[in-house]
Amino acid sequence: MGAVPLTRSRPWQAGEPGQAAQVITWLVAAAGLLAGAAVAWIVSHGGPDRIGVPNLPLAVPVVVLVGWSFIGSGLLYWWSRPGNHIAAVLIFQGFAWFASMLPDSHNPVLFTIGQAVYPFQYASGLYLILSFPSGRLQGRLDRALVAVAVALVTLGNWAWLLFADSHRMMCHTCPANLLELTRDDAAVVDVFYVLRFGGIVIALTSIGLLATRWRRASRAQRHAVMPVAVAGVVAFAALIAAYVARVAGMSSPTVFDSFAFYASAAVPVAVLAVLIQRRLARGAVAGLVVELGGPGQAGDPREALSRALGDPSLALGYWFAAESRYVDRNGGPVEFPGAGSGRSSTVVERDGQPVAVLIHDAALDDNARLVQSVGAAAGLALENERLQAELRARLVELQASRARLVEATDAERRRIERDLHDGTQQRLVSIAMSLGLADAKLPAAGAEAKPIVAQTREELAAALAELRDLTQGIYPTILTERGLGAALDELCGRAAITAHLRLFLDGRLPAPVETAAYYVVSEALTNAAKHSRASAVRVAATCADGLLTVEIADDGVGGAGAGAGRGSGLRGLADRVDALGGRLTVSSPPGQGTTLRMELPCG
Amino acid sequence: MRVVVADDAVLLREGLARLLVEAGFEVAGLASDGSELLELVERARPDVAIVDIRMPPTHTDEGLQAAKQIRARWPRTGILVLSQHVHAGYALELLSAGTDGVGYLLKERVSDLAELAASVQRVGAGGSVLDPAVVSQLVSRRRQDDDPVTKLTGREREVLALMAEGRSNKAIAEQLFVSEYTVEKHVGNIFTTLRLPPSPDDHRRVLAVVAFLNAQ
Repeated sequence: MGAVPLTRSRPWQAGEPGQAAQVITWLVAAAGLLAGAAVAWIVSHGGPDRIGVPNLPLAVPVVVLVGWSFIGSGLLYWWSRPGNHIAAVLIFQGFAWFASMLPDSHNPVLFTIGQAVYPFQYASGLYLILSFPSGRLQGRLDRALVAVAVALVTLGNWAWLLFADSHRMMCHTCPANLLELTRDDAAVVDVFYVLRFGGIVIALTSIGLLATRWRRASRAQRHAVMPVAVAGVVAFAALIAAYVARVAGMSSPTVFDSFAFYASAAVPVAVLAVLIQRRLARGAVAGLVVELGGPGQAGDPREALSRALGDPSLALGYWFAAESRYVDRNGGPVEFPGAGSGRSSTVVERDGQPVAVLIHDAALDDNARLVQSVGAAAGLALENERLQAELRARLVELQASRARLVEATDAERRRIERDLHDGTQQRLVSIAMSLGLADAKLPAAGAEAKPIVAQTREELAAALAELRDLTQGIYPTILTERGLGAALDELCGRAAITAHLRLFLDGRLPAPVETAAYYVVSEALTNAAKHSRASAVRVAATCADGLLTVEIADDGVGGAGAGAGRGSGLRGLADRVDALGGRLTVSSPPGQGTTLRMELPCG
Repeated sequence: MRVVVADDAVLLREGLARLLVEAGFEVAGLASDGSELLELVERARPDVAIVDIRMPPTHTDEGLQAAKQIRARWPRTGILVLSQHVHAGYALELLSAGTDGVGYLLKERVSDLAELAASVQRVGAGGSVLDPAVVSQLVSRRRQDDDPVTKLTGREREVLALMAEGRSNKAIAEQLFVSEYTVEKHVGNIFTTLRLPPSPDDHRRVLAVVAFLNAQ
């Protein structure tokens, strides 16, 4: 797990923008209003063949509203999320849009300035659509496209103006082009083709780029950019159509020009739509508070949070304070998303302490405020859930530590068995050899010693047999070598009581499972032989559907559990089985035999 | 008779070699693990290889695996496996490819030099030897209710166990303090119950018993 990202609430989220920001906002708003009014006047007083705005129905109100909505959306973004570049881009776009209407002025200075800045709105529009909603360009291709567009609308456009005669190249009623150095119609036409060709290439590449991005986008990402992306593609397509129509020699203005004009008006509408959509999403937070705060509300708050955020992939992690890490609802570990995984995380805090982490679609990063408010609204429900998750995490830990203990015990038993085998057993066998050799070499005269040697030999054999039983009791080597089936077969074979074995096992099981099953059967057989007065025991081991079931049933007197001294061995085994996530039950009604049943996950 | 000894414990390896020399065998070489044993058998071509089951590197059943390979590659080399444990299953694994020249004894049987020598001799001559402890485990265990072994009387099982050790009727009679005629009657009943045709040959009796035990 990587470092835990701690997203503390940022100062700007707490209060309103500062005084300077308010002044700037009002200034920009006033400038926007003024610019809109001025442009409306210029356009409505433009000549019959005006070039800034085509002569179309409602052209003047559309021009003004489009400009104002760009500036207005920009200011709204700036208020709600300062630091997001998109606000600046939108405001710039609004003023560039108004500036592009200046060529309709009869004043040569305004006309020339309008001609010089006329295409700026294309470059900023491109930036807007490609960078929406973060306001940052995402890749090298984006940046290259914008750079080329900026070069075309500045240097390319200005180069064109240096040689363009306004009456010849723009319109008959246009004022003089003050930037004209020398009239060169051929150069103007050449530059013009370069500009148009560049424009078409940029528009086509952008459509391709948006389409690719769309295909790769998550649901939440699509949700966030859909209106703007669609409007952008339409606007690009319209621009291409208009250019192609011009290049094909259609008389100006064409129907495609009208289309392009209205299509560019769609972009600010889309931007506004996204803004409104976000406002609505924040309204969902109120619903969330009601939903999670309701009486009797229990269980997983994920569903409600996921609905409020519109992110079905939302995952929750809860703060496990004791280990300074996050755990899931069941106490399992939580993976934090890596950089570039398309996922992101937001920490929810209460009273300065982390409560939970929301792991959500990275698209929601652009709406961090919504995520924060959703998290805050769900705070109490998350805190409750966190306490439960912490409890479960502790249980998971406990279970793991018990399993480790069992494994450590087994490892220790294996070591003792090995030490006995390599040490004591071998020494005793070696002594047995020497004894055999001595016996063989005893002269006939030593006949009196023969019985002593023979008796020693028998004692030694008995000692070895006891040691053998002891070592196998400590750790049955056959279990590691041949598995549970063979080990149980042998166990039943040498049991002090007749044992019928039925095996339904397929292949090997995990070592701790085999060991636990072996000890349970071994203990049960010993108990049956000692206490049950049974004539026979039935042992069955079945592994099916990931569960190993071992049953040991005798036909003895029953009533086990009441008898003293029987409990401790079984209790230890029950602990062992429990530590591995299984259970051990004893059923021993008086007079009806004893049945031991062990169930252990085996897959 | 030429023998080789494989055991990872130097004390037991050397001790066993001394015993065998004492008993009149020619010890053609010693090995301390499975692969060494295979090389040794290939080189020395002994009559009998005496093999410890638990050897390096795995310290599990290396010796048994080596023994099975020897059985497959040099069928004329007898195998006498020595074990510190009574693993009837291992004995059956060893016998599953045939009972000629195979033996399985507990290690502590080395304290009786005469019996050890007899066992090596028998394995070397193509016979088979099973430790009484192993045989009693094989015979005493029951698997299913329809197992014919369950139909044998206690006495018949005792006789079968002794037969499995390769003893003659005379030896069994001495062991059980009964007449040889009684033993013959028991043997006849055993064969009838187990549906095995009787045979006068000691070795074939073992084979039959083992085949029966092995078939389960």
